[in-house]
Amino acid sequence: MNAKFRLFSVKHPYTENTKELFKKAMQENVKFHYQHCPEYKTILDSKNFSPEHVIDEKRLEKLPALPTLLFKRHHLFSIPERKLPIKATSSGTRGSFSRIGLDWSSLLCGFLMVLYTAKWRKLLSFRPVNYIILGYQPNHNNQMAVMKTAFGATFFAPALHRVYALKYQNGTYQADLDSLLKKLIQFSKQKHPVRFMGFPSYTYFLLKIMQERNIFCPLPKGSKIMFGGGWKQFQAEAVEKQVLYAMIKKYLNVSEENIIEFFGAVEHPILWCDCPAHHFHVPVYARAIIRDIHTLEPLPMGEKGLVNLLTPMIKAVPVSSIMTDDIGILHSGETCSCGLRVPYLELLGRAGMKEIKTCAAGASELLKGQNL
Amino acid sequence: MIFANGKLYETSQQNEILNHLENQINQTRSSGRLEIEKVITALDKFAQELENGIFSEYIQDSFMQSQIAVSAKMLHRNALEYKIRHELGAELYQTRNLTPPESFPQIQERLMPLGTLFHISAGNVDALPAWSVIEGLLTGNINLLKLPQADSGLTIQFFQHLIQIEPILREYVYIFDTPSSDVAGMKRLAQCADAVIVWGGDTAIQAVRQLAPPECKLIEWGHRLSFCYISGNPEDSELKALARHILITQQLLCSSCQVIYLDTEEIKQIYQFCEQFLPYLEKEAQHFPVKEINAIAEMTLQRYTADLESVITGNSSQKHIFQGKFCSLTACQDSELELSCLYGNPLVKPLPRNQILSVLRRKKGYLQTAGLICPPESQSILTEILIQSGINRIFPAGKMSDTVLGEAHDGEYPLRRYTRTVNIIK
Repeated sequence: MNAKFRLFSVKHPYTENTKELFKKAMQENVKFHYQHCPEYKTILDSKNFSPEHVIDEKRLEKLPALPTLLFKRHHLFSIPERKLPIKATSSGTRGSFSRIGLDWSSLLCGFLMVLYTAKWRKLLSFRPVNYIILGYQPNHNNQMAVMKTAFGATFFAPALHRVYALKYQNGTYQADLDSLLKKLIQFSKQKHPVRFMGFPSYTYFLLKIMQERNIFCPLPKGSKIMFGGGWKQFQAEAVEKQVLYAMIKKYLNVSEENIIEFFGAVEHPILWCDCPAHHFHVPVYARAIIRDIHTLEPLPMGEKGLVNLLTPMIKAVPVSSIMTDDIGILHSGETCSCGLRVPYLELLGRAGMKEIKTCAAGASELLKGQNL
Repeated sequence: MIFANGKLYETSQQNEILNHLENQINQTRSSGRLEIEKVITALDKFAQELENGIFSEYIQDSFMQSQIAVSAKMLHRNALEYKIRHELGAELYQTRNLTPPESFPQIQERLMPLGTLFHISAGNVDALPAWSVIEGLLTGNINLLKLPQADSGLTIQFFQHLIQIEPILREYVYIFDTPSSDVAGMKRLAQCADAVIVWGGDTAIQAVRQLAPPECKLIEWGHRLSFCYISGNPEDSELKALARHILITQQLLCSSCQVIYLDTEEIKQIYQFCEQFLPYLEKEAQHFPVKEINAIAEMTLQRYTADLESVITGNSSQKHIFQGKFCSLTACQDSELELSCLYGNPLVKPLPRNQILSVLRRKKGYLQTAGLICPPESQSILTEILIQSGINRIFPAGKMSDTVLGEAHDGEYPLRRYTRTVNIIK
């Protein structure tokens, strides 16, 4: 069995002594992409990074991280696209999409990862539940990864019903929170638990409507609220997590330990799941390096910078090390009340020119003008 | 928040206010004219209060404080009177008798306000929305202002205070926080106006061109690009001043230096200059640290992505980055005038003087300030070439963003644009 499978077969997603295994799996993965993706080889060669040398901690930091923006502009593959069973695109917050594919071996690893993570977070259950999906209804034309994750999450427990906030009608997505609310009231009166899954912003909108109309829907015991997909388009409406948790308790009667948040990216399809203290500990399948916003040099723990994520999971696309546009901090896990000791990642926002006061050029022109 | 008739209203009351706006404006306009003397007296009083620190608790940023100090000076009576005299060249509302040659009949001429101005302001300088309206008031106009999204609330406070000093101005200032996405609201405001004044980038200007009805005049103050031109060997003090200008404005202003041009064809000289200039930039970067970390991160990502892209596509070796601490210089082989990565990351390019015109003409409509560093014997010839190429401001490199009383804005006098000339034959 190769190092990747051994890594993804580790049963506890936050086991501490997997460093060696991770490095070995990364070495295999980087070597594979180097041999099969000509663009990746060119990049590594230009930065004098040879995949033949043993990869240690220092060299993981030196491994060129490919920015997500690069995948939006160029389609890089290490396995021909036609041979891939699953293709996904990012949700394109800024209007451009990354095209990423998954090969069979990665799918299997992904399955194990989701299974172990869901088990650790006590999400697996045989008890049938009703799903409220605050995201997109699947349709065959839509390859958005966010939607697939949301749909995937509805298999942690058998589904009685799935209700979507964004319905696919006449070729476009329409938000329909009113009929969703009706369903929610209906579900709350049944004995089956209810599970919410989707964008936190939609959950917040729904709760705000409930607040305005004074609607209380205490959900049956065992109900859970799951978030994923980030705040993205609704940053102006961004709300403190604690405020959201309080609203969930008040209007849905779901307490904090049953609120679970996920994050991942189409270019980094690792299921990052928060702990009961709502921290994103680094799972065995991935590493995070925080980099200086000026120089991209690695920063020590506790300092704020651009988030670089690494995983050996994917063979189809050279995403071994990707530079996200998230800004975050890596904290020592020693003090987390959940008991996990591995470091955790805090996401603080996104790189961007929004709200920046400049007259040298407007934000859209700024992006257009960057031809360095 | 909406500010109308000297009172504050909730944003939700926008439609109600708009329903009565045209009538109110017509009433004001038919009941008389705004006496400019009253505007000047009020602004002069306000300037004194500004200097006594009424707004200081809201403005912590040192650059902004220095801007406020300059603004206060510009609101003094003698400064305002100078500006009006200099820009308009004639008294507002005063009739002049003209006798043209060649037996043409005698004619009367009178300078009048355009009427109602709808200001769509950019958010790059906190004082800009207020300043745009002040220029409207100095020319006797009724002013409708759409606040930029990034407005800190200072603009409404400013006018609340001004109206306390001179209550008559109540009928001449309306402020709306209509978002640009509220096209219907924006259209209704434009319909009430004789002219729309738009400050902003290409996107904003294009949007307003579509929004304004054809009978409404458009006055556009678009975003601009500026650069520094160096010929010969610059003095230590000149490099220091240039570095300070770059960091103090963070390269965010229209007048901020984006590209440093050298009067040469040699790429070797470009590299030499970068090595020489980087320490100056680093020193200033320590004094004026950049706070917008999201923006810097974005710029770094863009630059890094472009670097990898050039590796993939094989177009490398075109650019070389000299990385400093919290700043950088990028040596380029081409001569295009373009936006830099901002925040202390200018581009350095070759541009021999005989190519200045042909290169700059490709950016016509975007040209603003040239900061000039050269030996005295080249001063006038280079100034002439820059003028011929379409540059409207030629300043010493360290003073590129200085505001000087009586200077034109992008080649024109705003007050002149906010008035009309009426002719009468009796």
